[in-house]
Amino acid sequence: MNRKVLTALFLVVSLAFGLVGCSSQAGGSKPLEDAKTQFKSEIKFYGSTTLAPVLSQLSTNFNEHYATWDKVDSQFAKKDIAIYVSGAGSSAGVKSIIDGVSDFGMASRKVSDEEKSKIEGYQEFKLGMDALTISVNPKNNLTKLKDSLTTEEIKKIFAGEFKTWNDVDPFLPKTEIVVVTRDIGGGAHEVFQKAIMGDAKVRADVIQAPSMGALVTKIIENENAIGYASYGMVNQNKGKLAPFKVDGIESTSENILNGTYKVSRPLIVLKKGDLLPQEKAFMDYVVSDEGMDIIEKLGFVPNR
Amino acid sequence: MEQTFEKLFSILSTIFTVISVVLLFLVIFFITQESMLIFQEVNFLDFISGLTWNPLASEPTVGILPMILATFYVSMVAVLISLPIGIGCALELAALENERLKGFFTSILAVLAGIPSVIYGFIGLLVVVKFLEKTFRLAAGESILSGGIVLAVMVLPYIVSSVTETMEKSYKKYKETSLALGVSKSYMLRALILPNAKGAILTSMILAFSRAMGETMAVMMVMGNSPILPKLLGKGETISALIALEIGTAGLGSLHYHALFTSGFVLMMFLIFLNALFYLIKKNLTEHLE
Repeated sequence: MNRKVLTALFLVVSLAFGLVGCSSQAGGSKPLEDAKTQFKSEIKFYGSTTLAPVLSQLSTNFNEHYATWDKVDSQFAKKDIAIYVSGAGSSAGVKSIIDGVSDFGMASRKVSDEEKSKIEGYQEFKLGMDALTISVNPKNNLTKLKDSLTTEEIKKIFAGEFKTWNDVDPFLPKTEIVVVTRDIGGGAHEVFQKAIMGDAKVRADVIQAPSMGALVTKIIENENAIGYASYGMVNQNKGKLAPFKVDGIESTSENILNGTYKVSRPLIVLKKGDLLPQEKAFMDYVVSDEGMDIIEKLGFVPNR
Repeated sequence: MEQTFEKLFSILSTIFTVISVVLLFLVIFFITQESMLIFQEVNFLDFISGLTWNPLASEPTVGILPMILATFYVSMVAVLISLPIGIGCALELAALENERLKGFFTSILAVLAGIPSVIYGFIGLLVVVKFLEKTFRLAAGESILSGGIVLAVMVLPYIVSSVTETMEKSYKKYKETSLALGVSKSYMLRALILPNAKGAILTSMILAFSRAMGETMAVMMVMGNSPILPKLLGKGETISALIALEIGTAGLGSLHYHALFTSGFVLMMFLIFLNALFYLIKKNLTEHLE
């Protein structure tokens, strides 16, 4: 008897937990208050999959800090802060602003003049830059021979025209070049493809690293490896990676921000028309020092 | 009082059973639904026999034959490596009279099964990949072989536990007879226990194979993930690695996104087929034994 009671109790409790779990998810919609003006508590971000994790992180922190809008500013209504971020690509982000289906668009590329002309009262916030350095293992003797690679050389290495290090420089041994990239469909590769490769294809047998961390680990572990480590990763692994200048331009944060270093792209949030006060409050947080720290932590060059 | 609890218990267990069955069907339904959309643009045969995967080009091509082959190749290598080790281990465990030692070994195997796959992948990257680079003088050690070695360790516990079970049974059954006939223990294991476990070995192979096919993280870390036709010492990309790598950046609703779901669908079909096979053979075996 006792055991049966216990089992039944256990089942009831677990069912209760299951149901509670359901209700808290669905419980977001609270009865509408009879406010004088409808206060919009939701902000929707849509676009670049590179920026999506950044804004997710920023909105999470914002949410944890304030929870309801009236704590951000006493004039706002007491409603839960709801910031939705979804990634679908930069072009989809720009299109969503043109069509007016989201509040903010995210783009990790320049917005063309043609696109801008379709958006009335176009506004953009440049959050920072995403930059890649062309890095090798410090034990690679190429680092002793030169400190800069031309676009053409990098292109030939990644396209497989240069198969061994000897092809790059006759003083180097005839060992195979190990090319490491991120997934070819991803945002990081897109930057590289546009800045260096153009229409040329990367060779088929590159190692596709599952994360930027894995890419950097491979370069640190393998003397013959070359890959595009993100700017943030090079700073975190000083001495273990040897970044090259590209066409003689070093990947410093100044060069990246003013656009002279070419393997980079801007991170932009765009908006049609004026911002609502609550939207402005969030964007002020995004461009604050705290927001910029988060952007830097995620491996980008913040636009301070 | 007693009856009320009895009733409550039976209702609740029915509910939970229904929930888990429905969950499975929902997953299958969702993946099928998301993947069918691609066939408006691509022929199914082109999809599974295509050699190039380039969903983001201006003229996208999505062919997953290299990934299907790599998935099978690496799983086969893994099973081939772990099968002899697993059978040897199972023979030893079945014939082990010392119960404490047996318990100790069994629990070690359980721990082996419980290690997170990312840890296996990390060790594989730092040990197996490095080892292959040195031994075969490869520029990069990421290969089908390194994936197979890492997977072999991961599926070993499944092979051992399912084979040991059957071997233990027949060992107990024939022990007295063998002792009475005066044959040596090793002869008994070789001539009686091992042939008797044929079916169990086959099912364990299928189980291990399907485990290996679905494994993602560890394989992704040591195989290089190049969508090219696989060679033993060359790089390769499995279906699950392809999905894990690219689903994060595939635009919602794009061709790329649906192509990834369809790859998942293909993998799922293979696994369902293998599981059905496993079930059928196992059922046959138990009937045979009884």
